[in-house]
Amino acid sequence: MINTLRQIFRSGKFVAGFSIFAAILLGSLIYPLIIRDAPLTIIGQGTFFPPGIYVSVYDSVGATTTYTLDIDDAAVNRIASRFNEEDRLAVKEWLVAAGIPEAEIDTADTEKLLAQWETNFDSTKRIPGMTNAKRNYYIRLNSSIDGLLSSEGLVIAAKNAETGALEQIDTIEQSDYVNVTEVANVRVLPLGTDNFGRDMLTELVAATRVSLSIGFIAGTVATLIGLTLGLLAGYIGGWLDDIIMFVTNLFTVIPSFVLLILISFSIGQEQRGAFTVAVVIGFTSWVWTARAVRAQVVSLRNRDHVNLSKLSGHSIVYIILNDILPYIASYVVMALILQISSGILAEAGLSILGLGPKTTEVPTLGLMMNWARIYQADIQGRWWAYLPVLVTIASVAFSMNLMNTGLDQVFNPALRD
Amino acid sequence: MKGYRKYFTTKLVWFLTTFVFAFLLNFILPRLMPGDPVAVITQRVTQGMTSQSGAQAVYEQYAEQFGTNKPLWEQFARYMANVVRGDFGVSFSQYPRPVAQILGASIGWTIALQFPAIIVGWLIGNTLGALAAYLKGGFDKVVMPVSIFISNFPAFGMAVILLVVFGVNLRWFPTSGGYGFDLIPSASWGFVWSVIVHYQLPFWSVVLISIGGQAIGMRSMAIYELNADYVKYARFMGIKDWKIIGYVFRNAMLPQITGLALSIGTMVGGALVAEIIFSYPGLGYTILNGVIGQDYPLISAATLIITVMVLIANFAIEIIYGLIDPRIKAAQAD
Amino acid sequence: MGKVILEVKELTTKYITRFREDVYAVDHVSLKVEEGKSLGIAGESGCGKSTLALSLMGYYFPPLYYTSGDIIIDGRNISGMDPDDVRRSILGKEIAYIPQAAMNALNPTQKVIHFVEDVIQAHNPKATKKEIYELARERFHVLGLPEEVLHKYPVELSGGMKQRTVIAVSVILGPKVLIADEPSSALDVTSQKMVIKMLRGLMESGMIKSMIFITHELPLLYNVTDHIMVMYAGQIVEHGAAQEAVFDPLHPYAKGLMGSIIVPEEGLRGHKLTAIPGVPPNLKKPPSGCRFAERCKYVKPECKGAAVAIREASNGRTYRCIFTESELRETYQNGA
Repeated sequence: MINTLRQIFRSGKFVAGFSIFAAILLGSLIYPLIIRDAPLTIIGQGTFFPPGIYVSVYDSVGATTTYTLDIDDAAVNRIASRFNEEDRLAVKEWLVAAGIPEAEIDTADTEKLLAQWETNFDSTKRIPGMTNAKRNYYIRLNSSIDGLLSSEGLVIAAKNAETGALEQIDTIEQSDYVNVTEVANVRVLPLGTDNFGRDMLTELVAATRVSLSIGFIAGTVATLIGLTLGLLAGYIGGWLDDIIMFVTNLFTVIPSFVLLILISFSIGQEQRGAFTVAVVIGFTSWVWTARAVRAQVVSLRNRDHVNLSKLSGHSIVYIILNDILPYIASYVVMALILQISSGILAEAGLSILGLGPKTTEVPTLGLMMNWARIYQADIQGRWWAYLPVLVTIASVAFSMNLMNTGLDQVFNPALRD
Repeated sequence: MKGYRKYFTTKLVWFLTTFVFAFLLNFILPRLMPGDPVAVITQRVTQGMTSQSGAQAVYEQYAEQFGTNKPLWEQFARYMANVVRGDFGVSFSQYPRPVAQILGASIGWTIALQFPAIIVGWLIGNTLGALAAYLKGGFDKVVMPVSIFISNFPAFGMAVILLVVFGVNLRWFPTSGGYGFDLIPSASWGFVWSVIVHYQLPFWSVVLISIGGQAIGMRSMAIYELNADYVKYARFMGIKDWKIIGYVFRNAMLPQITGLALSIGTMVGGALVAEIIFSYPGLGYTILNGVIGQDYPLISAATLIITVMVLIANFAIEIIYGLIDPRIKAAQAD
Repeated sequence: MGKVILEVKELTTKYITRFREDVYAVDHVSLKVEEGKSLGIAGESGCGKSTLALSLMGYYFPPLYYTSGDIIIDGRNISGMDPDDVRRSILGKEIAYIPQAAMNALNPTQKVIHFVEDVIQAHNPKATKKEIYELARERFHVLGLPEEVLHKYPVELSGGMKQRTVIAVSVILGPKVLIADEPSSALDVTSQKMVIKMLRGLMESGMIKSMIFITHELPLLYNVTDHIMVMYAGQIVEHGAAQEAVFDPLHPYAKGLMGSIIVPEEGLRGHKLTAIPGVPPNLKKPPSGCRFAERCKYVKPECKGAAVAIREASNGRTYRCIFTESELRETYQNGA
């Protein structure tokens, strides 16, 4: 046993797959110990906030200490961020449409460009062929670049509780800084938020855990059914073999995904918890295991050690447990790994069809994928809403397949290259 | 020829049996669910419906359609008779369109998308696998890990990646639909071109899904065949390499054909999901709409149609296989 | 002395293992086969006899490599030839080969006649299908094979029929040398007899000019061949006329080999069956002296010194031993 394990861990492929899988599993177990937020809490009022560090504006303004830093390129950075190349080209387009000769416009000369803009822009003016969206963009742009070149600070005013008049309480100079670590409310959203405004990373970790358990349950159910049927058909044979093989062949050609759709739909949204879905997946994917186990058992059935055991009067259960199972154990483990991986993929496929686990309790990788699809994260370029999920699913499946290939090479030396 | 007839008959009997069982499963699975299926369905359909008599009418319609008040065998006979006539009932979600009409509109899209895509994916996968086995070295070292990765990549994932890269970022192809939404189906060039352009992304995502697994299978088959005794003998008789490679790949390809028959069900499942990502107007998308609209007759009929299509494809592959592999005839003649 | 069809001079070939070690499986082997004669090669499995067969054809592919020596077929030296040229102009045409595993030697999904077409067209691209068919039909007829075989797939043929088909296809171009590597070892007795009869027929009818027959079954060799060569650990240890090699071997290994089999021939009946103890040496590191020394009953300390050269004996026989012919005969007399 120990020797076998040592041999397995000497296979590069297995170790690579195992490391990826262990990292994902450990991550999904340890993360919730550190970040204790409920995974489905909605924090963002809006959809798809991009990844980043969110600093409370209110707390920054009211920070007890501010620091003055004289940084040469601060103004340049500010202009670049608020008035970028695309905006400049848009401004040029507007100016040309407004009748300024193209030769007089220089998009690199910020000062001149802004002066031209200020004298010529008129939000009420209609340019032929301009869409409404474009017009709104220009209005937004106008207010955003207003006062861009000013070196004055901002005035902070608060309402006087008695008179209701605005009173200046502070000014913020352009060279004022706060230290992020001193701001009371900072929230890091490494993967942004999803369409409901939930922290993607926390949700993803929870979903990974749920999906792994769905895969594990589905894989276990499928392997148990497949193993039992395969053992019965292979060892006992006769009419039992015929019947089991008939059913197995039947379910080989009838697409299991279609069965899954039919069953899941029939169960109904309310009854479909993650566990139910897992069991249903298990019930529709035992076919390959049953076939393979049967084939192995048939070849084992007439080996000398099995015959010896039969002659010694051992019971069928004893023979199966002691003379058959140990010989197919490695195979069953490999089948289990593949079943887990395909169970995770099956859940994801079902969820995309809207037949996944009901959405109110726990997230799964498939459900997250489905939400991203419904809210068109892909078309809108919100990569953080689907790419991490895809990478997780693919890594889990890939790592398990690598482990399997590694095991296969250890147990079937003929396959080694 | 006698051997082949025997093979054909066996396969045909098996095909018909599977057919009947597929019908039976489709009929019985929803009826196995706990509770009165008609009541459950009615409740779902009538959510938000205030009129009590309206709900009652719906209930009666489904009780009639299911024939739940009759014995099971009669229900089955009725179901079979309806199916044979092409009568799948009336859709809930697109009332009063008959289900057969909805499916009729989408089935063509699915066949036109999946059939060529699976074949092309199979061909490319097998070519890559064969080349990896023959060339070995660097080519093999690149093709194999990529194939393993792709074959583990979920179908919808592949579709999303293609959509984002080629549809959203590069803007080469449209991201959804079977043709431009501003067009009316016609035989005009504009329409045909629109269909072709919309076809690309769904097509290639199904192709990519099918490549990986086939390449892996073909590679190991070809490696096995390359070491076969007949390869050595042919060399020693002075036959040229390209001719021997022809033998090897033909022989390695044959088991891959049965491989295709066995994996076609899985591929179709993946392709249905890919359809959804691209809102392609095929059966996958129809199922999605059925799920959203809680449209029981539509789902039931769609799953049955897909099963039957897969069965027919399977049968066709087995029949062709029997024709081109002489070993089948020899095995049957014994 | 007849015309020499095949002459091999000091041929050495090696395998290179996965760990880059050289294994000299054929070590300075020389032999001659005359027109109308056949040569048998005997030895335990792993002695290099099959490798010798491959090496004789002058066509090498990894892990087998040519090292040195000459192979001359009908006056033409092929040892320095480009492997592709060997394949185009020698294999199948000058030298034909009947493989060890004839069961799987034919492509299972190709009709026999199509393979025959490929073989002939590889050497004569201008041959028409009709000509090829006529030739194949005539050859099959002469060799007593039914014509229908041509239209069958190998899977439809029985084991013996497959073997005979392979032989018929091998000699279709009338090769000068036919190398048969254990052509009958996997067959039942009836099929074996048919195959042997067929090989003899090939020689008698002149369809092939000479033959090399490789087997571990000595009685078969005696029945089929004119000369017998015994190999041990990549080297020739005994070479002589069939009669003498079987009934009067000189080398102790050949003696042991002949004693370890049942020969149903008059005069040998009643001999005690003896086996040779021990295993052949590892060819990755062959012993410096006589390679058989470890297993030899008559070993002397000087056997393990320098490499042992080939000695000539009476009747043109050769053997590889430090003892002279008379010394050996004396030893055997005393020992027996």
